[in-house]
Amino acid sequence: MRLALVAGALAAALTLPSSSLTPVVAGPGDLEAIVKDEHGKPVADAVVSLTSSAAATPRRASPAIMDQQNKEFVPLVLPVAAGTSVTFPNRDNIRHHVYSFSASKRFELPLYIGTPAAPVVFDKPGAVVLGCNIHDWMVGYVYVLPTPYFAKTAEDGKASIGDVPPGAYEARVWHPRLRTETEKTATPVKLAAGEPGQVSFVITLKPDRRPIRRPTYEGAQGG
Amino acid sequence: MHFRSFRSRLVVVFLGLFALIQATGYVAVSAFVRASARHTVEDELRLASTLFARQLDVRTQQLVTATRLLSGDFALKTAVATSDHATTASVLENHRRRVDADVLMLAALDGQIVADTQGAARRGVEFPAPRLLAEAEAGRDASDVVAIGGRLYRLAVVPVLAPEPIAWLAAGFAIDDRTAADLRRLSGLHVSFVAGRDAGAVVHASTLGAADRATLARGVAGARARGVLDLGGGEHLVRVEPVGRDVVVVLQRPLAEALAPYDRMLLILLAVAAAGVVLALLGAVLVARRVSRPVLTLARGARRVAAGDFDVAVSVSQRDELGELATTFNDMVGGLRERERVRDELERTAKLKRFFSPQLADALSAGDESLLASHRRNITVVFCDLRGFTAFAEAADPEDVMRLLHDYHATIGPLVFAQQGTLERFTGDGLMVFFNDPVPCPDPAARAVRMAVAMRDAVAALLEDWRQRGHALGFGTGIAMGDATIGRIGFEGRFDYAAIGTVTNLSARLCQEARDGQILVSEPVYAEVESLVEAKPVGPLPLRGFSRPVVVFDVLGLRPQPTADAASAAAP
Repeated sequence: MRLALVAGALAAALTLPSSSLTPVVAGPGDLEAIVKDEHGKPVADAVVSLTSSAAATPRRASPAIMDQQNKEFVPLVLPVAAGTSVTFPNRDNIRHHVYSFSASKRFELPLYIGTPAAPVVFDKPGAVVLGCNIHDWMVGYVYVLPTPYFAKTAEDGKASIGDVPPGAYEARVWHPRLRTETEKTATPVKLAAGEPGQVSFVITLKPDRRPIRRPTYEGAQGG
Repeated sequence: MHFRSFRSRLVVVFLGLFALIQATGYVAVSAFVRASARHTVEDELRLASTLFARQLDVRTQQLVTATRLLSGDFALKTAVATSDHATTASVLENHRRRVDADVLMLAALDGQIVADTQGAARRGVEFPAPRLLAEAEAGRDASDVVAIGGRLYRLAVVPVLAPEPIAWLAAGFAIDDRTAADLRRLSGLHVSFVAGRDAGAVVHASTLGAADRATLARGVAGARARGVLDLGGGEHLVRVEPVGRDVVVVLQRPLAEALAPYDRMLLILLAVAAAGVVLALLGAVLVARRVSRPVLTLARGARRVAAGDFDVAVSVSQRDELGELATTFNDMVGGLRERERVRDELERTAKLKRFFSPQLADALSAGDESLLASHRRNITVVFCDLRGFTAFAEAADPEDVMRLLHDYHATIGPLVFAQQGTLERFTGDGLMVFFNDPVPCPDPAARAVRMAVAMRDAVAALLEDWRQRGHALGFGTGIAMGDATIGRIGFEGRFDYAAIGTVTNLSARLCQEARDGQILVSEPVYAEVESLVEAKPVGPLPLRGFSRPVVVFDVLGLRPQPTADAASAAAP
């Protein structure tokens, strides 16, 4: 058993050397990650990923779902491995017009109801910002990763990546409002077999500027 | 003349005071009106500037809203996201027309212009108001009034959301002379938009002419929020209100314009003041006259008093100090009159004493003077004179003549008064005395005869002395009784109390006829005194002036008898 040592070298703006190493007994090949902001508050919806310098054999990704529910994208952040097909079922009784102008995946699902026949395949890594042309406040993110090892933090800021083969990895974190580039969050992580690794990130977020949803009118109509 | 000037002084003082009050009032009102007009204009300007600011806010909000609407257009988003610049420019032009904006610009997130309705050449140029981009990025409504290419625009910037910001859309409405003119129509004020500060101030839009714009640019440099600016056409009240970070709206109104309605008021005020002065003048003259009239009356009265007329009573009806003065004056004149009367009386008494016995004179002067008025009465007249006096007067020394007369008069005068006779006249040696007038007496003839006898005896003694010195002098007396007209004759300053009538003539003739020592009395006189005297008739005498000879008696002397006691006892 040895301790995984994670040095948190974060973005220039952050400056906090934040690695905290605690010997923890965990399942084999697991990485426990925790993401906090500079005030120490846990950050939800952050995507933590592990990439190997060695060419990892991509696993076949299972299809994912991005719901539209009560005129919101659910989940807000959907991390997928590259090549994943995502379906966009519309669970509202009105139409939606989902689009993305993001470089990694540009697509448009003009006004539809129910589930479109063809899922959208996200094959290029990167953040894809989803919008709805008729509901300005609807924002969703599909984060396409070049690796199958990733997890999304919960409300407590914690995420767990399981079934990771032992080896040397780089841990990264992404968040829709991350001030810096994800590449700069790259943190080397060594995972030994049967020994859970730990990584913690302190990130700085941009202020939340999503268009404000006017609740009165829309709420009355919501389904 | 004094009083004229007193009156005019009074008028001048009165008028001067009134004019001073009016002038003070006018100046005060005028100052107040000016200040009030200024306040009004300042209020107007403040109100208008608030209104403009509010209006501008509303318009800007509308502009932001419109721009946000345009930014939500999916086609625009598509064109921008696909970096299709030609299409983007075309969409901008289309949307510019939709909202009737003057300019629409699209800037990339890095602040470079991607498309601009002002021309393709603007591509790649730095966005002219980078501060607005920063504000929009911070999530605020970003709008300002900015100068772009020498023109002013009200500019709003919103993000193009997809759904995160992919570009900035800016829409602008020009602020030009037409805008200023519109605002002027709305408010009646001069409106100018000035960008920049100090020496760099530029008037971009205005309702003013070119010359005034330059003045305004210089004047606004460093100007406070409000003040006074001297432009063509006089002083303007100015209010400067910021409408953008570097742009102010300058509102102005000529002071003269605001004062115009007050000018008429001031004119009316002036007219009222002038009318007041005229009325005051009339009033002052009336009052002055009212004050000076009694003074003049008093002065006239005083002049008359000075001239010796004491029958003056000034009539001043006022109950004020002048009235008091007039009363005092009248009292004073009354005093003078009283003194004059007393003096007159004394004088008159002295005069009376020439004719009457002192007792009678006193009685007369104490009583009323009507005794001396003309009347007819039965009197007894005594005439006497010296025989040979004319010859004596021619021959003797004047000193002797005067001495004789003096002694003679001194001798007979007391005798006249002893019998209370009225001395009618002195003529050198002659003397006329009558009785029963002006104060009647019960026994005029007796008195006359008694006096005549006393005179004869006294003069005889006096003449004896002179005869011895060789002067042949004698004394004759004539007495007559009858009606005579009696009264004052003469002229102012020389009156005599005279008795005119036959009786006077008769007694004078009898006197002429009498020889030395003779007392010739007429028959009626004798009849009265028959019991008192020894007399002998002197056959009827022919007398000049009398048609028939007159029966005359020569009184030789008084009978020895119980004299005056018996007479006075017999009288009642």
